[in-house]
Formats: sequence, structure tokens, C-alpha cells
Amino acid sequence: MTTTRKPFSKDILHIENIDIVCNEIISKLKTDIAKTLQRRGAVIGISGGIDSSVCMALSAKAFGPNKVTAIMLPEQDSSDDSRMLAEKLAAKFEITDTIVEDITKALDGFGCYQRRDDAIGRVITNFDPTIDKAKIEIKQDAASNLPPAFSVTVIKPNGEVISKLLPVKEYLQIVASTNFKQRSRMSMLYYHAERLHYAVIGTPNKHEVEQGFFVKHGDGGADVMPIGHLYKTQVYQLARYLGVPQEIIDRTPTTDTYTAEQTQEDFFYQMPFEQMDLIWYGWENEYPANEVAKVMGRTPQYIENIYKNFERKRKTTEYLRMRPIF
Amino acid sequence: MQTETDTKTKIKNYIIESTFDDVEKIKDATLIFEEGILDSMGLLFLIEFLQEEFNLTTSDEELVVENFQSINSIIAFIESKM
Repeated sequence: MTTTRKPFSKDILHIENIDIVCNEIISKLKTDIAKTLQRRGAVIGISGGIDSSVCMALSAKAFGPNKVTAIMLPEQDSSDDSRMLAEKLAAKFEITDTIVEDITKALDGFGCYQRRDDAIGRVITNFDPTIDKAKIEIKQDAASNLPPAFSVTVIKPNGEVISKLLPVKEYLQIVASTNFKQRSRMSMLYYHAERLHYAVIGTPNKHEVEQGFFVKHGDGGADVMPIGHLYKTQVYQLARYLGVPQEIIDRTPTTDTYTAEQTQEDFFYQMPFEQMDLIWYGWENEYPANEVAKVMGRTPQYIENIYKNFERKRKTTEYLRMRPIF
Repeated sequence: MQTETDTKTKIKNYIIESTFDDVEKIKDATLIFEEGILDSMGLLFLIEFLQEEFNLTTSDEELVVENFQSINSIIAFIESKM
């Protein structure tokens, strides 16, 4: 018997029966938490971003708003509107148990900021962390056949931008330092989860899980990941269906990790979500590059190169998804 | 003075030592990234090795596949910077 599959199109990821899909996720969440994990509710860290918003909405519908604790975990580099949006979100889904845990002092204790700024200062010698803003980013094209390398960019108060390719030692130190943020958040979420006998809801989407855009034992540390199988455009579709506030839907996804504005596209993905979702789907489902190229208005060679980029990312981040070996 | 053969040997030894791969697997024209011998961190460590061993600084613009895809390409890149 031969199976026919849908021809590749720009609508291929559109969820037809969004109500059914949402109900399935909600029903699975209930079973996962109550039966498999044997917990009585859910703790979720909310940032004002689309992924945590959708996870919170799903949790509120699954367990009822009084069985969900929403925790905001800002630190000194968090953007000011994150907290305002997170509060608006909690109110929208009638979650009253909202807690703000500022983790700045914990991060300071770990030396997170100092270690990060020391590494940046070794590359850009006139970096002044008290007034300058900084971020790291990938500048190469996603279709390059070479793995990406990160640059550090410092923005002076007068608007001057200084950018340099990061040597490996400094790159690793910056990443290791900033990862304290996600790991401190994870510790705080588990404190509240254990205090309440709840489970921790993880918010990564399919791209974050499979391309390794998460911190091991940080935002990757959770009990359930209800949107871990969904493409980013599908997360947006759920957000609209569930009634997530429009300001959150309209907001450009950022890492909210560095002092300078940094989109997830600059930092990691190297292309817009709409494009990445479709090409990832094509790659994962083995659509020939020329079929995807036609729909995307690209050359087959470009698509082939992106396929290789995805393959490389999945392979090099395998370590993040692995359990301890014994 | 360092000959091309010396440079090639140093680079090949570096790759073998850092990847634990068999020496037979890595030829001068082997596509080291395409074949998964080095990954993205491998590229960063390779750039550091070139800096420490040959005092060669790599800029953003020079991070192109033509300069790094094989030992032959790396040799050509080093020579172009001398």
C-alpha cells in the first residue's frame, strides 16, 4: 500500500481543529500531573513571552486557576515590560497565586554578572558594564556550510556599536555565567513546587527542545513540557485560540538574558520563525529540497544548506537532551 | 622557517588529538565540518588553536566555509594571511 502525503505548502503546519488539539493537550496534562507524577497542581515560571503564556493558559484550563501558581522571576537585566505583561496574563486567566521572586541577589552571589562582564571586558577592553549594554549574537548566514560562531556586541550610551568575534574561552565563560539565570529560576520553581506538592511546567517549544535552545538543568529542567512538540507558529495559533493578551502575541521573542535587546533570531535561530518552522518541517519529514525551495521562493541549494544546519544543530546539542549515562 | 608540511602536520595532529579520530579518517581534502569531524565548538577551538600556534587572528568576515572546510583550505587561509 502506498501512502500519499500532503504536498508541501505554506499552510502545512496550520492546525485545522485547534479546539481538539488544545483539549488533547489539556487532557494529557491532567493525566501527566495527577496520575503519572502524582502531584496536585502546577508551578510555572512566566516571563511575558509567548511560550510561557500558552503553557500557563493550558495549565489554568487543565487544573483550574486555583491549582496553578505563576511565578515571575525577574533579575536586573530583565526588560521592564516583562513583569507588566506577566501580571496581565495571570489576571486574564484568573490565577490569583502569583509570586514575584527577584533572583538578582542570588545571581550576584553566584558571580553571574561579574564573570560575564569580565569575559566581555577581555574582548572589548573599553566595555563599562555600568553604562554599556551588551549581547552575543550569530552574524553568519544560516545557509552557510560552516557552523556558526558568536560575536559579542557592546552598545555605548552614545549609540556607538562595537562588535568582535568571541574567542572560545570568553564565549564559554559568558554562556556559563548567564546560564546561572535559567538554573536559578529552575531552583526557585522547584522550591515552590515542592512546597506545594505541585509539578513544574516546562515551557520550551519544539524548536527549543530539538535545536537545543535551552539550558540543561535550567529551563530544560521541568516535569512536563506541554508544548515541546509544537512549532512556534502553532504556539502562536494556540495563543490566539486561548485568548492570550494581544501585546504578548505581538511582542518579538527575545532571550531577556542580556542587557542589550536581543531577539531569539539574532541569538540562535538565524532566520524568522515562519520560515524556520516550514523548513524544519520539510527537513524532518524528508521533503525534497527542491519541493520546499519552490514554496519558500528559495534555491534548492539554500534549502539543502539549511537542512544541514538543522542536522548539525540537532547533533551538536544531543548532549543537552541526554540523561546521565550509567 | 615553517614549511607547508610542518603546518599541515600541526593542523592534522591538532584535529586528531581534539577529536580522538583515526588518523586514516582525516585526509588533506576531507570536509571536516560536512563530515561531522568538527562541530560548532570544534570551529571555535580551531580558531583559538590557529591564534595560539600561528598568531593568526580570524575576523567575522573570514568565517566562511572556503577558509575552514578542509586542512587544505585552512593551509590556504593561513598562507593568505602571512
